[in-house]
This record gives sequence, structure tokens and C-alpha cells, in this order.
Amino acid sequence: MTTTLRSRLVAGGLALFVVLVPLAWFTPAHASTRPVYQTARRNAGTPNSSVVVKKHGVVTSYGDGAITYNAPSPALAALGQALYLQNCASCHGTEANGVPAAGTTGAYPNLVGLGPATIDFWIESGRMPAANPRSVQAPRHVPRLTHDQALAVAAWINSLSPSYPYIPTVNVKAANVANGAALFALNCAACHTIEGDGDALARSTFAPSLRNIPATQVAEAIRTGPGNMPRFTGNLSDFQVADIVKYVTTEIQHPRNPGGFGLGGLGPVAEGFVGLLLGVGLLALVGFWVGERQ
Amino acid sequence: MSDVVVTKRSKKQAMGKYGRIGKVLDELDDRLGVAKGGRSFLDKIFPDHWSFMLGEIALYSFVVLLATGVFLSLYYIPSSAIVTYHGSYLPLDGQSMTEAYASTVNLSFAVRAGLLMRQMHHWAADIFIGAMVVHMARVFFTGAFRKPRELNWTIGVTLLTLAIVNGFLGYSLPDDLVSGTGIRIAYSIILSVPLVGTYLAFFVFGGNFPGTAVLPRFFILHVLVVPGIMLALVAAHMALLVRQKHTQFPGEGRTEDNVVGTPMFPVFMAKTTGFMLIVTGVTALLGAFAQINPIWQFGPYDASRISYAVQPDWYMAFLDGALRIFPAWSFHSFGHTIPLEVTIPAVIFPGLVFGLAYAWPALERFVTKDVAMHNLLDRPSSRPKRTAAGVAVLAAISMLFIASSTDVIANFFHVSLNTVLWSMRVLVLISPFVAYPIAYKITSELHATRGSGKRKTANVVTRTEEGEYVATAAPAYADDVAHDLAPTPVPQFIETSQPDEEPESGVRAIDR
Repeated sequence: MTTTLRSRLVAGGLALFVVLVPLAWFTPAHASTRPVYQTARRNAGTPNSSVVVKKHGVVTSYGDGAITYNAPSPALAALGQALYLQNCASCHGTEANGVPAAGTTGAYPNLVGLGPATIDFWIESGRMPAANPRSVQAPRHVPRLTHDQALAVAAWINSLSPSYPYIPTVNVKAANVANGAALFALNCAACHTIEGDGDALARSTFAPSLRNIPATQVAEAIRTGPGNMPRFTGNLSDFQVADIVKYVTTEIQHPRNPGGFGLGGLGPVAEGFVGLLLGVGLLALVGFWVGERQ
Repeated sequence: MSDVVVTKRSKKQAMGKYGRIGKVLDELDDRLGVAKGGRSFLDKIFPDHWSFMLGEIALYSFVVLLATGVFLSLYYIPSSAIVTYHGSYLPLDGQSMTEAYASTVNLSFAVRAGLLMRQMHHWAADIFIGAMVVHMARVFFTGAFRKPRELNWTIGVTLLTLAIVNGFLGYSLPDDLVSGTGIRIAYSIILSVPLVGTYLAFFVFGGNFPGTAVLPRFFILHVLVVPGIMLALVAAHMALLVRQKHTQFPGEGRTEDNVVGTPMFPVFMAKTTGFMLIVTGVTALLGAFAQINPIWQFGPYDASRISYAVQPDWYMAFLDGALRIFPAWSFHSFGHTIPLEVTIPAVIFPGLVFGLAYAWPALERFVTKDVAMHNLLDRPSSRPKRTAAGVAVLAAISMLFIASSTDVIANFFHVSLNTVLWSMRVLVLISPFVAYPIAYKITSELHATRGSGKRKTANVVTRTEEGEYVATAAPAYADDVAHDLAPTPVPQFIETSQPDEEPESGVRAIDR
């Protein structure tokens, strides 16, 4: 029985090999070299967009009205290299190609080819330079580098091997907040919670709170997938990302709370405390007041 | 002109001793005979102690629940039909949702005072069940469930169970993302019942999850069936309390055979009416100023969507905690799967907890062999074993309660979720065994101290004219000076005739 199954598998594998190898001849050459996060879908964070601006044959900007992705100016690259050597090189190496740490995989990763949006996100959210490079997840922090310095570092790393996505600018005004709310519930709430407060995930990782994140960083995170977060490319168009960004920066960050104090968005945990301590507790105190205390 | 001069005074005299109201009551009594029962009702004696007010919090928040619930039912539509929302809350504009969710959002934003009523209803539910638990703890720790009050204890435990069930049903009605997840969990729990789970779940939901039958069914259970049963049980709870009379703490002049306290009218009635208004007021304040269950932020339920960090309301939290920390065990054999990781924490465990609550009076009687009538209460310190057992159960349930917020704890204190999970598993198992000896030691030592259970008396220090200080023990309260309380004679407004002889069998005539 086992031998028949194994021989069948071997035969099937051989047949597949024979069929698939000739097919490989016909696949386009760039398909194997294209970075995995890029998608063939139009208007999804790649230069496959409605509007593409080129300068000397190099794409400097692309987008579709919902989000415009701009490359950091190559003129900043020299400054960026100096800043990089000062702040990043001790972990990521002088060539930005990463240093494998002893006994760990993925520590001090290669930065070449990640795209300016990734570099900008990690620096501008204050996660890099990391306070503790060995921690499971770098927490959000007051950034050490300024906006212009972050752009400079991104410009230098991009000059090593130009790649996408560029740094997004979201046209929040034109976005549809209701569509964003539905997309948020579908794509984001499973980790960040429906109220955007974030929560603990397994083994000391966590989905951070979205209460105080600028629009650009929300878009960067969606397009580049920092840390444990999935990278949303093919399944969300730039219009949809702009909708989500609008929902996050308006309703999540400034909830209307028509019902009174929002209780920190902790849901039934906070409500239970208030109901039991303030409700039952206060009423029991009133009972203690009007009743006999013996 | 008539020969009788009608003056104000003569009019008043014609009315009788109790004026116009008395005349109306006289007329009523002629037809319904309410005077006798009313008199004994107004004379019902309530022993006074602050802990007797805890059950009243539950009673009055139940009243608030009924009143606000009626208001909500005027606007809520129990339908799973899909509609497109075009209301005043823009982030939901154009989304498709069930009519139930749309109507709940509309009653929050488009109905005057609708949001206030919804929030009051929700807060009142949280307070209602909280007060029931505290009241139950008072009855347990003071031994008020002993003979002759076992039946009232049983009714009370049933009321608590029904209140929790109805709380869950009501929480599910808006059909928002969070409550829809709750219904999904309930469906899975029903599925996990061995052998009949699938049939039972299909019976309750009218088919597979989510279906269109569940919201109308939950609605009619929530607004009619369960509250109807609860109302009847509350009435029975009260009637038994009047019939069996109140328990009282031991004290001056208080025995097993008397009831010392204030009459229903006017003292207790004034106090309890005031208390009812305060309960309503606190609920209204919470409803006005503290936001609860903001369903518009959650969006409509859709089986493809899920939010992390979802907890049930606090009274379901111990079940949620048990589900969260139970290891992933299951049984597959004989063509059947029994998901023990759901069956044990969500079906067997609550069955055991409520079974223990129902059985407690019988268990205690079995252990103590005490079959006497008890109208005087125990102090918790005078029954160290019972108190310690109650504390042990409460400790384990509190740990499960905390276990339902593992993610919040991990996120708040920046510790690993896995560490929190394992800590809670250990804490739930060891907490009763730690709590029992500590509670036992404290209560038995408290009981052994001199003068325990008696009022502390103040020492009054006086200075004599020579400058000497003298300390004398003073009574704690002025009314402690009275020793033997003579029973207050109940005024007899109604002549009741006692039959002199044994009535004969067969057809007989009695006086009206």
C-alpha cells in the first residue's frame, strides 16, 4: 500500500516536472527578479499607475489622484549616506546589506531594494534607530531623525538599487470615509481592533495603536507591511488605501463619542469596571448610608 | 334656602375621620376587601441593615430595565433583511447591513433621547446583574438561605441565570460586528454539546449560522419570554419574603421568633422610594455621561469580518475567560468529534457552578445536620468554613473573570500574551486552594476575638473639677439602652370574627 502510494507520487512528480519545465521557457524574464511585494495591478503602489512622471528616464513620481508616490530627491543621497553611517550602519552594515546576527534569522536585515516608503516609515515612526535591536518588536518612539533627514537616508538607500514603493502623499480630502470604515473592518480590525487601539498578539508581539499615526505613515504601513503586518498591495487599490487612511485619521483618531466619555475605547473591560465600581459600588454606598451600620 | 347650614367644617365632618381619601378607600374596601391585606402590608416590619439594600438595587434596576426596554422596543426592528444605510452617521453611509443594526443606529442618532435610553438600558443591565451577585453573596455569607428560605434561594439563583441569559440575548440584538461575533461563539458552544449539539444548534438558530431566524427569535425571548418568567419569579421572590418575613442580624431584643424593625409605612416606604429614585438617577447619570457599547464604531456584522480584543459584557466574562485559557483538547472517535476545549469550559463548567449554587443549601444541611428554622443571620466570621468555601469559589471565578482580558493585560503591561495565558491557567487552579485557608484563618480568628459581632462601644472621657480624667464606656447608639423591646400593638381598625367551633364537614356557610 505504502509503496504504491510512494510510486504514484514519484510518477506524478515526474509528470509535473516534464510539463512545467518547458512552460518556464515562456515566462517573462523579469517575473523572477521582480520583488515579491510589487503587484501587477494598476494603481496599487507601483509605477503601474495612471500618472507616471519621469525625469532623465527615471520614475520620480507616480499615482492616480488618490495617492501620489514621490521619490526622495537624489541630491540628498550624500547627506543620507553620512546620516546612515552615523545612525544605522552599526547594525545594518556600511553597505546597508544587513548583518546576520548570531543565532537569529532576519535580525539586522538587508535594506537594499526595500523602497523609500519602508525606510521612511521605520525612521519617521521613531522605530529606527532601535533602542533595543534584539527586542521582538520595535515600539513606536519619538523619532531621532527629522523628516528631511529620513528622506535623505531613504534617498541614499534608494540610490543603491532603485525600487518601489516611493513615499506616499495621500489625498485625504477626496477619499470616502464610509468605504474606508468597511475596508478597515475587513482588513485591519482583526489585529488593530475595530476601535483602532491595537492589542497584544502572540509572543510579545503586538498590533500598535492607530490613535496617533500621521496619514503618510498609515499609507506606508499598508503598502510595505512593517514587522508582522501583512503587506497589502494587490488586494487594495490606491483609492481604497486613501479611504482607509481617511477613516483612520478622522473617525479612529477623533471618535465622536456622542454617548459621553469614551472610556478609553477598552470596551466591556472598562464598561464592567465602571458599571461595577461606579454603578453598584456607589449604590451600595448609598445603601450603607441609608441603612443601619451595625 | 335649606334649614341646614353647610359650612366647611360640617362638610369635613360628613367626610369622616380620613377625609376624601378615606371615603374613596372605604368605597374600594366595600367592593374588594383591600383593607385587611393593605393594613398588614403597611404594617410589615423591615429589619434595618445596610446590606439588606443590595437586593433593592437589583429590584430597582430591573424596573429601569423594563421602562427603558419598552422605549427601545418601539424603535428596534428585529429583522435580518439587508438594507443600505443612509442616515446621519456618515462613516456608515452606503454600507449594507441588517435592518436590526440600521434601526439600532437610527434609534441612537435619529430618535430623541434614544441614545440616552439605550445607554441607560445597558448600564442598568450591568448594574442589575452586579447587584444580584452582591445580594447573593450577602445571602450566602450570612446564611440567609437556610431553612425555611431554601426555595427563595433557588428562585434567586434561577433569576441570576435568566438575567445572564437575557443580558446576552439583548447584547446580541443590535447585530453589530462585536455582538455578531458573540452569537457565533454561542452557536459554537451549542454545537459542542456532545451527540445532540448539531441538532440543538440548528433548532435554536433555525438552520446554519447565521441564518435569518436568530434575530427575531432572540428578540421575542429577550423582550417577552425571559422577562415574563423573571417578573413572575421576582413576584414570587417578594411574596415569599413577605410570607416568611425578613431575617435579621442578632442583637438586642432580636430572637428567632420576632422581627424587629421599622414598618412598611411610613418609614420603610420613604426610604425605599428614595432609594429607587437614586438607583434611577445613578443609571441616568451613567447613561448620559459614560458611553457604553458604541455600536456605530463597530459597524454591521458580517461573517467575513472580525475585530480583535473583543470581550463580552462583564457577567459573561468568566465564561469567556474559561474558554480562553482552556487547552486545545478534543476527542475524535466513533465518527464523532467532541471539542472538549469548548464543551468543558462553556457547557460542563457553568453547569457545575450553577449546580453547586442550587445544591448549596442541601449540601450544607447534609454536612451540618442542622434542620432547625433560622431567622437570625450568621455573621460571616461565625461560620469560618462556609465563608472560606464561598471565598474560594469567588476567587476562582474572579480569576476566570480576569482571564477574559488576557489580551488587554498583555498589551497594557507589555508582557507576552503567552505568559499571561499560562499565568492565568495556574492562578485559576491554585487560587481557591490559596484563598480557602487564608479566609478560614482570618474568619476563625475574627470570631475568636472578644466582643466579635457586637457593637464597639466608645469610651467617654470626662474631666472632673479636680482635673482627673475618667473613662466610662458609653452605649454605641442611643437606642441600645432599651433592652426588652415590647412588640408594638398593631392598631385594629378591622373587626375580625373568630369562629368559635370547629366547622362541620360538607356544605357550610361562612361570614363574609
